[in-house]
Formats: sequence, C-alpha cells, structure tokens
Amino acid sequence: MTEALAAALAAEHAAIFAYGPIGVQLDDAAQKQARAAEAAHRARRDTLVVLLAGEGATPAPAEPGYALPFPVTDRATALRLATAIEERTAAVWRAALPATTGAERAQSLDALTDCAVRATRWRRLAGTAPATVPFPGRAG
Amino acid sequence: MPSRNEPAPTTNSAPDGDVRRLSRRGLLRITAGATVTVPAAALTGCGLFDRDPDTPPAPDPLAPLLAGALDLAARHEAAAAARPELADRLAPIAQAHRAHAAELARVIGAAAATPTATAGPTSAGPGGADDVRGMLADLRAAERAGQAAAVQACRAAPAARAALLGSIAAARATHLEVLT
Repeated sequence: MTEALAAALAAEHAAIFAYGPIGVQLDDAAQKQARAAEAAHRARRDTLVVLLAGEGATPAPAEPGYALPFPVTDRATALRLATAIEERTAAVWRAALPATTGAERAQSLDALTDCAVRATRWRRLAGTAPATVPFPGRAG
Repeated sequence: MPSRNEPAPTTNSAPDGDVRRLSRRGLLRITAGATVTVPAAALTGCGLFDRDPDTPPAPDPLAPLLAGALDLAARHEAAAAARPELADRLAPIAQAHRAHAAELARVIGAAAATPTATAGPTSAGPGGADDVRGMLADLRAAERAGQAAAVQACRAAPAARAALLGSIAAARATHLEVLT
C-alpha cells in the first residue's frame, strides 16, 4: 500500500508543478479552473504526506523541476497538458485501489474520480470529442 | 456404498465360481455398470452430490451493477434515438456503459450480456427544450444513482476487482459532467 501511495504522491507533486506553465497560457475562466485543479492536487498531496508519515514512511519531497512531455506555448498545448496530467494522475490513483482497503480505498477512489472529472472538463474546453473515456485511469 | 475398488458383487461372477477368469478390468467395468443402476437417492450420503442440484449458485455481488450498466446504456440509447440532436453527447456514454457491462460480465463469468428491455425514458417524444431538459435531468439522476452503486461496489470489492470498479465509478461521474 505504501508503495502505491508513494507513487500517488510523486504524481501529485508533478501535477502541481505542471499547472504553473499551464495557467499562464489560459484566459481568465480557464485560469480559474486551473487554479482550482492545482489547489485540489495540493490538498491530495498534503493528505498523502500525513498518511505516509503516519505509516512510518518518509514522504518524498517534490523534485526541483519536471520535464514537460511537450512545450506549452499556447492555449491548445496548455489544455492538452492539463488533460494529460489529469489522465496520468488518474492512472496512479487507480493503481492504488487494489493496494488499499477501507478509508484509503475510498480516498483513492475519490482522487481517481476527481482527476477523471477534471480531465473531462479540460477536454470539453479544448473541444475534444468525446470528452469522456470509458475507463478513466486505465491505459488504452 | 458402491466403490470401484471393491470386489464385484458375487452375483456378477459365474455360477460355477470361475471368478478368476474375469480380468480386473472386467471387474471394474461390471462394477461401474452396477453403479449406474443405483438410484441417485442412494448416493446422496456419499458426498458426491453435496450441493442440491436444484439450488442455483449464489449470484455474484456484481450482478446488480451489470444489470445497472445495461439499464444505463439502454436509457442513453433511447434518449439519443428520441432526440437525435443529443446523439453526439449520449452515444459515447451509451458505448461506455456497454463496455462496462462487457467487462463486468467477463469478471463475473456470466454469459455475454444482451440488451434487456428497460423502463427507459421512452415516453419522451418530440417536444421542446423543456423535454430535452427533463430528459437530461432523468439521465443525470440515473447516472448519479449508478455512480453511488459503483462507489459502494468498489469500496467493498476484493483487490482484483477494485480497479475496474473504480474506473466505472469515475466514468459515471464524468458522464454527469457531460450531461450538465
């Protein structure tokens, strides 16, 4: 379980970092959405840090920087990265489901669901159709 | 209780006592043949039929979720048929529910799921914007109930099923987003 939650923490660190370059490319309404998404990822990160520390693990800090999968230079690439970030974070939380039970399973499911909903919102803003995927967090 | 390892009943041996001419294989055949004629009731104490064959196996705990996925698919398909202008939004959702049903049937081990007649919003005929709004509200209510059911199933599931059920719960939440 600790390993799965540590992976989720690493993904949350990366997501928080990514919303920086994403936000600056967006207009006001979308920027607000990006800020809300970043705040949600910070909240998940903080919960994970407490949880992992409580289990005697040492929560890994954020890296000083993260390589973006592609340059974010305009609104379109910003929305594409935001979608990709949410899909990736969803996948990590989905992977935590079999490794957890009880309250931690419920928390992981909440996180997966939030990421999936945000990915759908970003796809809608980008005009991507369909805006949903059949199995959020599952590869392929 | 008849057993293949017991000697054949003496009634099967030749009357002149020439039982040695029968091979062991022959004895086994004879004994097996005798077993078939034993009434089934005589075997119930042997542990061969511990389960009453009339009692169906307990339904899989995911059976209601499978039925729910098929129902949701049918509702979206009926709504898309009634209002073609919504088809672009509703068709991918219906397809997702069908995909969920197929995966649930696979893990349950059930026979391939077939569409069932459901109480979908078939009453929604051609009408105005109010009808569309009402139809979408009905679909949202169904998705919300389905999402809650999937969340419960995921929380209660063994590890092997947790990821699939989590994806289904998350997908239903995204459907609500699109239906808004």
